[in-house]
Amino acid sequence: MSRTLHGVAAALAVMLASSTAAFAQDPSGKLVVVTSFPKDLTSAFQQAFQKAHPKVTVEILNRNTNAGVKYLQETASNNGTDLFWASAPDAFEVLKGANLLQAYKPKVEGIPDKVGAYPVNDPEGMYAGFAASGYGIMWNTRYMKANNLPAPKEWSDLAKPIYYDHVAISAPSRSGTTHLTIETILQGEGWEKGWRTNKEIAGNYRTITERSFGVPDGVNSGSFGIGIVIDFFALSSQASGFPVEFAYPTVTTIVPANIGIVKNAPNKAAAETFVDFVLSPQGQEVLLQPAIRRLPVNPATYAKAPADYPNPFKDKSLGASVNFDVEVSQARYNVVDALFDQLITFQLDDLKAATRAIHQAEAALAKKPNEKGKALVAEARDLVAAMPVTAAEAADPQLAGAFTVERKSATDAVPERQAQVEQKWAAFAKENYAAARKKAEEALVLAR
Amino acid sequence: MNQQFSPASLTAGMESVGVRIDGVDLSYGSHRVLKDIHLDIRPGEFFAFLGPSGCGKTTLLRLIAGFNTAQRGQVTIGGRDISALPPHKRDVGMVFQSYALWPHMTVRRNVAFGLEERRVPRAEIERRVEAALDLVGLKHLADRRPSQLSGGQQQRVALARTIVIEPKVLLLDEPLSNLDAKLRVQMRQELLSLQRKLGLTTIFVTHDQEEANTICDRIAVMDDGIVQQVGTPQELYDHPANLFVAGFLGTANVLEGQVRAMDGGGTAFVIGGASPIPLPHGIEPGAKGKLMFRPQNLFIRQDGGAPRHGHVRLMGVVRHREFLGASIRYAVDIGGQQVQVDAPHQAGDALLPPDGPINLDFAADKARFLRR
Amino acid sequence: MTSLALSREGLARVRPGPAVAAVLIALFLLLFLVVPVVQVIFVAFQDKTTGAFTLVNFADFFRNDLFMRSFWNSFYVSAMSVVVASLLALPLAYLTTRFEFRGAVLIQSLGIIPLIMPPFIGAVAMQLLFGRNGTVNLLLREHFGFSIPFMEGLNGVIFVQSIHYFPFILINLSASLKNIDRAMEESAQNLGCHGFRLFRRIVFPLAMPGYVAGASLVFIKVFDDLGTPLLLNVNDMLAPQAYLRISSIGISDPMGYVISVVLIVCSLLALWVSALAMKGKDYATVQRGGGGLARRRMKPLEMVAAYGVVLLILVLVLAPHIGLTLLSFATIWSFSPFPDALTLKHYDTVFVESGQYITNTLLYASLAALLDVVIGTAIAYLVLRTKLAGRQWLDYVAMAALAVPGVVLGIGYLRSFYDVPMPFTGQPLSGFWLILVFALAIRRLPYALRACTAALQQVSSSLEEAAENLGATKLRTISRVVVPLMSGGILAGFVTSFATAAVELSATIMLVHSQSDAPLAYGLYVYMQSAAGRGPGAALGIFAVIIVGLGTYLSHVIIERGRRERGQDH
Repeated sequence: MSRTLHGVAAALAVMLASSTAAFAQDPSGKLVVVTSFPKDLTSAFQQAFQKAHPKVTVEILNRNTNAGVKYLQETASNNGTDLFWASAPDAFEVLKGANLLQAYKPKVEGIPDKVGAYPVNDPEGMYAGFAASGYGIMWNTRYMKANNLPAPKEWSDLAKPIYYDHVAISAPSRSGTTHLTIETILQGEGWEKGWRTNKEIAGNYRTITERSFGVPDGVNSGSFGIGIVIDFFALSSQASGFPVEFAYPTVTTIVPANIGIVKNAPNKAAAETFVDFVLSPQGQEVLLQPAIRRLPVNPATYAKAPADYPNPFKDKSLGASVNFDVEVSQARYNVVDALFDQLITFQLDDLKAATRAIHQAEAALAKKPNEKGKALVAEARDLVAAMPVTAAEAADPQLAGAFTVERKSATDAVPERQAQVEQKWAAFAKENYAAARKKAEEALVLAR
Repeated sequence: MNQQFSPASLTAGMESVGVRIDGVDLSYGSHRVLKDIHLDIRPGEFFAFLGPSGCGKTTLLRLIAGFNTAQRGQVTIGGRDISALPPHKRDVGMVFQSYALWPHMTVRRNVAFGLEERRVPRAEIERRVEAALDLVGLKHLADRRPSQLSGGQQQRVALARTIVIEPKVLLLDEPLSNLDAKLRVQMRQELLSLQRKLGLTTIFVTHDQEEANTICDRIAVMDDGIVQQVGTPQELYDHPANLFVAGFLGTANVLEGQVRAMDGGGTAFVIGGASPIPLPHGIEPGAKGKLMFRPQNLFIRQDGGAPRHGHVRLMGVVRHREFLGASIRYAVDIGGQQVQVDAPHQAGDALLPPDGPINLDFAADKARFLRR
Repeated sequence: MTSLALSREGLARVRPGPAVAAVLIALFLLLFLVVPVVQVIFVAFQDKTTGAFTLVNFADFFRNDLFMRSFWNSFYVSAMSVVVASLLALPLAYLTTRFEFRGAVLIQSLGIIPLIMPPFIGAVAMQLLFGRNGTVNLLLREHFGFSIPFMEGLNGVIFVQSIHYFPFILINLSASLKNIDRAMEESAQNLGCHGFRLFRRIVFPLAMPGYVAGASLVFIKVFDDLGTPLLLNVNDMLAPQAYLRISSIGISDPMGYVISVVLIVCSLLALWVSALAMKGKDYATVQRGGGGLARRRMKPLEMVAAYGVVLLILVLVLAPHIGLTLLSFATIWSFSPFPDALTLKHYDTVFVESGQYITNTLLYASLAALLDVVIGTAIAYLVLRTKLAGRQWLDYVAMAALAVPGVVLGIGYLRSFYDVPMPFTGQPLSGFWLILVFALAIRRLPYALRACTAALQQVSSSLEEAAENLGATKLRTISRVVVPLMSGGILAGFVTSFATAAVELSATIMLVHSQSDAPLAYGLYVYMQSAAGRGPGAALGIFAVIIVGLGTYLSHVIIERGRRERGQDH
């Protein structure tokens, strides 16, 4: 009974919607947007859009990226959401994979294909980039002064002993953009060397946060001094008056933040209008507001930006040094996350203990060189850097299969269970870190 | 209490009813609390369940009120089987040992409660509450909270709260146990006169034989879930059915010995330190049992004369003595068994010294041979 | 004849009222707790590749070092939190109920405020005050050259959790202490017991039901809580592990659900143990019109010491709120003992933007709390006063809600109710705001249930029997005697449920379908996601605290007035 009614109502709604489209170009009705963006950004766009299209009421539903994706998945059977609007491209990839997005080609002209080395839009048109952001290093100037720390410039700086216990990052498994930073380092330096760098930096971590915003939040309040964050967090913090600064390292990726229309969107017309608005010069200018501070994807908009505003289309060093391979990234996405969690996040205490021992041994050896000691430290560093899987293994769909449920056919090989794989990696890391610490301590004894 | 008040207004149109308990069995798990109880309580009777704690008397009372359910048997009130009725439909009024006055209501509201539940018209409630409070002499305290009353006052409120609904039967669960001794004596008289005035069938649970004896028409003595004997206080005292009843009502002297045939026919009870004590007819030689008699059946004979006719001489040693005022109670050792003797006391009388010899005359015809 | 009598007695025993109530409650729990949760956690018993039933995931759990470490960490943190929370709650409860203490009501009210620490900002405030570079440590380092690691690792979790949850012990213990017949204490004094021995041997054991109720709540709550460890970035505990795994996108790892099952089982176990510990300790002490501990006067020196202790504890437990207040007025507060400057502009922002959040919150939280005390009272009554078969299970199932992570419940609701369209509008049922109320009610039911159970335990059953004996039906007895006598406990349950529901986030965030239906916690969440939103977020948090705090204070006033009217306080 109610289902029939529901059907009738839906039919009426469709008729109504199409008739409105026929009679008036301007859409109307309620537009529901699920987004992970902060209020500063969403309400600015909401106001600007409603000014331009007064007949549309924009409903913003704020959820973090993960919860947003889960929400769309769970509600797909009776979808009430028009747009999904978030940073991490991988979240859109998941939605795309689950067939929850629908293609739309924006009407706006003048948007380049690539920002930095990253394509702006999804090749299949399922989602479109509207603002670029890059990862970098953010620090609290008061904290740095109190602890006598120099400002870091490059990722490798963060591995220096002086920054021990001062750095923070959010877990790549929790933050799509952090994932891209880790992946960028891996692609820029190669699998083995990249992990070595990642782990050497990780040895200096003070904490690994679960929310992306946890990192800028902690730097802002001075809980820790240095954070690996996405640019707009730092820029908007700065704009809010916090004593923080930000730098892009040479090896970084500029990635677009995206917007996509949800499949079976109740108000498709308004959704399309919104996407076009966001990409329009009017919409792009909103990004320049001090509380938002994102990089427009429309190069023309930079003309209106403040003088020191980073411009990835002009400054070719910005994000262009790594040619980011999306397919490589996609193939080992979950494996990289799980490796980071098992080798770093959940073994942080052991990793830090090993790193501390290495730092101390090296400091002592610098004063009193000793060949055997040097060799021991090198061994210790190798133990820390050692990986349980090679680049080839990481790309193996068999291994990736442990993390996803999709099984294409009944004859597919049954992969190992995720818990088994993780336990193996964790045990590997624990053992290596303990051994590394022991070697470093031996070296320290030799240097005394 | 207000003697001018006519209870008729409270009990108008009420007729006393009897309570019958038929073959009731009740167990908690494997523990049998009541074992095949049969009782017939007459209309208007003031009836007591008397027994030590744990004997099942309160369980039986709560069964009548509907708070316990028997596995077997039935309870009828005024000829109507109430076994299946929930407590609130039984029309039996119960006064709880703790009084169970609701602390969040005033005295007046406490008393009015039952009438309100019966949807009695407002005006009538007021009238009847006034009457009930008047009856227990607490009209002036109607607006106090229970916690502002003394124990005796609380007791009266509990009583007023119960009788105001004009129950068919009044159940009293150790109602006097929380009162001081003097108040207890006073309250039991008030209870009795109230019961007589209302003509209300009343069941009174107590472990105090004096309480039961002084106010109850009949008593059911209970032990171990079994009704040991039913009777008037005097019947129970004078003719206890067994040693338990004998011991529970008043002080009993119990002697162990053998039943032997006497030369001149009949049987006698033979103990050490005394001549054989003749027994009534019908007790065969070798019967197992004990001889029970009361302290007042013994007389102290320090004059050295022969025992009076029908008396048996017992010779013993005074072990200790208790000065009770009107009398002195001596504990006397007779051939290794102890008996108690009450001697009337007059001012100036000397007390017998402990550990001194004593001669007692025993009115043998007052003794009872009890097989269990 | 016998069989006839038997059947009639059978009729007498099975009265429909309680059974109907039990069935209704069971249905409610089934529909809004069991079904949604099972919808989610059945994954734990599924083979990932074949979908068949398996227990291999549980074997994996016990073979995994990380999970075992998480398990023991959770256990350690919970146990230590109970210890620390008890140290905080005992003096407050004892001093305010046992002595003539000016401001006792105020202290009792302030004592519950930690419970209403809104999510996110609580930990932010604590970091600002006690963190490695917080106010206290910055000052210590500047003046004395050392710092105290309050907030490092598990310490931080224990510290924040005990402060956050100690009111559970305070509320329940105070209620129990108030209900102890003064004769109990006096008779012990009469027998030569006094001072601390009196407390340890008589007063505390008598107040045990309340204490155990509170302590078990603290244990379970800490065991299951994920917000605090996550915000302090402590990941190697069970609840955060479950959350991290369940909420990972694109990954379908059954371990998150396995951990959820483990959490539920552990909570049930804790409840069972506490029930076992309390068996046969039904201290119905309300005898002749109730008593309550006699309040004593203190000697001047004792008074000074007592106020000192109370003040110290209050400062400690209110620290998050003090920090929050500062934050709400702060322009910039970064790596400094105090904010750079103060401003009112955050309140301005909140006033303009957040009226809807506040009205929604008041509506949802009070409806949920109302539902909770009704169901809580009913379950407590069924469990303690009837012989209904399986009645204990209502209690267990309702309490198990404690163990269900909010995310699991949220996802379960979406799965269970999304496909059900609402009559006429055709919108998904899960988007209906009443669903949010049910979710809140389920989440907070355990609090109300424990408070109601403790209250009912202290009502002597003869008070009920007297009413029935005078002709009141069971229902009337409950409404006229039981409920009024439980009112203190019921009100305490209402306040706890209301206060905590008002700041609940984890299930809410999954179920909010439109901004106009969103409660305050959601608004806070949105604010706290940006640098510029920290001040307004804190201001909104302060609003939440004030609203709920006022509600609490009013209820205490009502309780106290009731006690005085009843003449229990002379």
